Amino acid sequence: MSAARPPPVLRGRQAVAAGLPAPVWLPPRGLLCLPHMENAAIQTCGLTRRFGALTAVENVTLGVAQGQFFGFLGPNGAGKSTTIKMLTGLLEPTAGTMEILGRPFGAGALDLKRQIGVVPEGMALLGRLTAPEYLHFVGRMYGLDAGTARERTEELLEFMQLADERRKLVTDFSHGMQKKLALAAAVIHGPKVLFLDEPFEGVDAIAAGMLKTMLAGMISRGATIFLTSHVLEIVERLCSHVAIIHQGRLVANGSLEELRAGVASALPGAEDGRRLTLEEIFLSIVGAGGAESAQELSWLA
Amino acid sequence: MAGLSGVPGAAGPRQREALPAGLARQQYAALAAMRWQVFRNSLRTGKGVLEFGARVLSYAMFGMLGLGMSVGFGFGSFAMITSGHVQYLPILFWVVSLIWLMLPVVMASMQEQFDLGILLRFPVSFRSYFLLYLIFGLVDVSTVTGALCCLGLGIGITVARPELLPWIGLALAVFAAFNVLLVRAIFAWIDRWLAQRKTREIVGAIFLALVLCMQLLNPALYQGRHRGARGFEERVGQEQRAFSKIRPWLTRADAVQRWLPPGLAARAALFAADRQPEPAFDSVGLLGMYALMAGLVLGWRLGAEYAGESLGEAPSRKAARHRKVADRGGWTAGGSGPMAAIVEKEVRALRRTLPLLYAVGAPLLLVLVFAGVFIRNGPTGHTFQLALPICLVYAQLGFTQLIYNNLGAEGAGIQLYFLSPTPIRTVLLAKNVFHSILFVLVALAAGALALLRLGAPPAPVIAASAAWLVFALPCNLTAGNIFSLIMAYRINPGRLTKQRGSQGNALLSMLVQLGVIAVGAAVFSLCWTFDAHWVATPVLLLLAVAAVTAWRLGLGKAEALANAHKEELIATLCRAE
Repeated sequence: MSAARPPPVLRGRQAVAAGLPAPVWLPPRGLLCLPHMENAAIQTCGLTRRFGALTAVENVTLGVAQGQFFGFLGPNGAGKSTTIKMLTGLLEPTAGTMEILGRPFGAGALDLKRQIGVVPEGMALLGRLTAPEYLHFVGRMYGLDAGTARERTEELLEFMQLADERRKLVTDFSHGMQKKLALAAAVIHGPKVLFLDEPFEGVDAIAAGMLKTMLAGMISRGATIFLTSHVLEIVERLCSHVAIIHQGRLVANGSLEELRAGVASALPGAEDGRRLTLEEIFLSIVGAGGAESAQELSWLA
Repeated sequence: MAGLSGVPGAAGPRQREALPAGLARQQYAALAAMRWQVFRNSLRTGKGVLEFGARVLSYAMFGMLGLGMSVGFGFGSFAMITSGHVQYLPILFWVVSLIWLMLPVVMASMQEQFDLGILLRFPVSFRSYFLLYLIFGLVDVSTVTGALCCLGLGIGITVARPELLPWIGLALAVFAAFNVLLVRAIFAWIDRWLAQRKTREIVGAIFLALVLCMQLLNPALYQGRHRGARGFEERVGQEQRAFSKIRPWLTRADAVQRWLPPGLAARAALFAADRQPEPAFDSVGLLGMYALMAGLVLGWRLGAEYAGESLGEAPSRKAARHRKVADRGGWTAGGSGPMAAIVEKEVRALRRTLPLLYAVGAPLLLVLVFAGVFIRNGPTGHTFQLALPICLVYAQLGFTQLIYNNLGAEGAGIQLYFLSPTPIRTVLLAKNVFHSILFVLVALAAGALALLRLGAPPAPVIAASAAWLVFALPCNLTAGNIFSLIMAYRINPGRLTKQRGSQGNALLSMLVQLGVIAVGAAVFSLCWTFDAHWVATPVLLLLAVAAVTAWRLGLGKAEALANAHKEELIATLCRAE
């Protein structure tokens, strides 16, 4: 990974305003792909998605090594969920290519789908089933035999503290419980690559702690996790590498240390050796325009 | 609305707080503007335009149907008044009430219903909430059709006796108000009962009991008196004897019905016709009390909704732990593959979906009704030969939503099918298998009912009916798979009302079904015209082979079709309710 990994990239308004030097690794115009990574779990090249006149994701080129906990950040509407949908086959890219575990990935790559677990934006739950029925169903849809699916269902229900709710229909679950169930369903088949779209949203602190432990365990056993979250503290604690997308474009990509080094010169007060938080890095890259606007809302109590 | 202040929730804190004057009007305007914007925005896409076109067409169709019924009621009431048979007038009012009550269920997939629950986050008074609930109920097919029927009744009676206009106008206005309130109240309560497992099971049990009662009632009324009837005169004699047997019951029923709303509305007209204004006024007054009661029952329900009731049904932790071991078993379809998993899931989902169970089971009731009609109208006492295929045709109609929108109930779960390594082809195949098994079971039940009630038709009819089923099923499944992928719409399977619906899907699926029925009817009529009864079976089987081939081809292309419409499908089904 280290041989092929690019240095951090900073673009966008803040980077330009700060007069940061152009990233040296950027390929010449027209050549959008990174050198092929040997052990890449996820690799995209010029991934683009347009909705009519709107370009939601533009030329996203990134690589995630196997065993990496990768955070994919961006403000609302930046293109995070669209990228995840393309990477999981829910959305067709307008342009670009993607590889999962070294093989080209598309909607028809059924074998590859067995290696992937996803918690999508809408959680993909079936409301008229109970939690055990749903997990058992998902397990079998991913090719587990009925016995294994049932065993893992029980283990996951216990782990996610949903065992007491086994008679309740999924549609009657609270948002947090639905999130836990969606997570359980994403891992029931033991995926090698896990895509999580806001997995901690609405999950209580106890469950979040357990989930973090579970995810860390998966990483230690060689799985790769691609995570989007607005909770930057969690991303900072869990992820070794982070990419930031802003207005559909990838504006930063690298390890946390690399990103810190990249923005340090642009941030006042960062030169004194203080360790920058991910939030500071994020705001310096995508901008904090909302802060000034909020001050103008004088009619707010 | 004054009478509604006592309903639960209506006196809640939000109700007591005084809202600024004119706020309600402003909210109505905002809501109207929002609906207009939703409508305008829906026309941005081709699908939206198609939906609008289908809606216009279906409303035109139902408008025509309503007008037709209105004319029928007009002539009926006119004839009753002028011929002196005014005592039969209540029958017309009862029929109007039944139409008003049944149409919302039949038309559930044909109309878009707006869930007013979204208004509860705003400072909307209970009065406004109630009023809006009623106003939105006024634009549905049942109200329009029912109102047209009332209009027909009114015109018929007024033309026969112009001096009755004020009375019949008043009685019909109160009668219409009662029906609007009753229908809204019934469906609001049914939706509430369907929201919880325990009440859902009770409603299911009552529904099954009603089905059984109907099954027993119809044969009890008709079967005995037709056994062995050979000639027309013998049949008439049997009819008369049977009628004299049930006459006491009818007299008692008449005594009861005259105190019920349709009877009261009719009696107001009858008393007015006899120039007895006081009892006529009493009847209208009592009818008004019924309307008020229906309003209170509706208000009770809406009051609970307004107060933010929680229909969560978490079992206590202790009870849940107690059940744990027992739940581990559970029904399985057998086999580990995705096919078995999907069939199993479909069975579970259907078991918990009373509206769909009703849709599948309701045609069986009507088969019984048809059977009664055939018994009465069959030529010269012989079994009406085509009763069996007609009953089978009707049984198929209950499957419209299941087959033609087979992904609609998945909601956000649709993403799972695209994320998992199971091809969409397998998903559709499993659903088709499940629906076929269910359809065959219902068709067998319908066939058995028809045979029991009417006796066995000639062998060529049985063979041709079976062949038509083999042709119709793959035809419907093929079109159903395509429509499900390209014209899906989200349904909440636990609700009878507040569904989104899709006119486009409903209209096209109806056309396909009519086409399939028309092909069968053409084959039947040609073969029977040329007295070549046995030819119908091989012809229909040949058509069945073509239909099965088309179904297989369609399944083969399902993957590509699903991928082409994947984004729209996911967006439609994942959309928040």
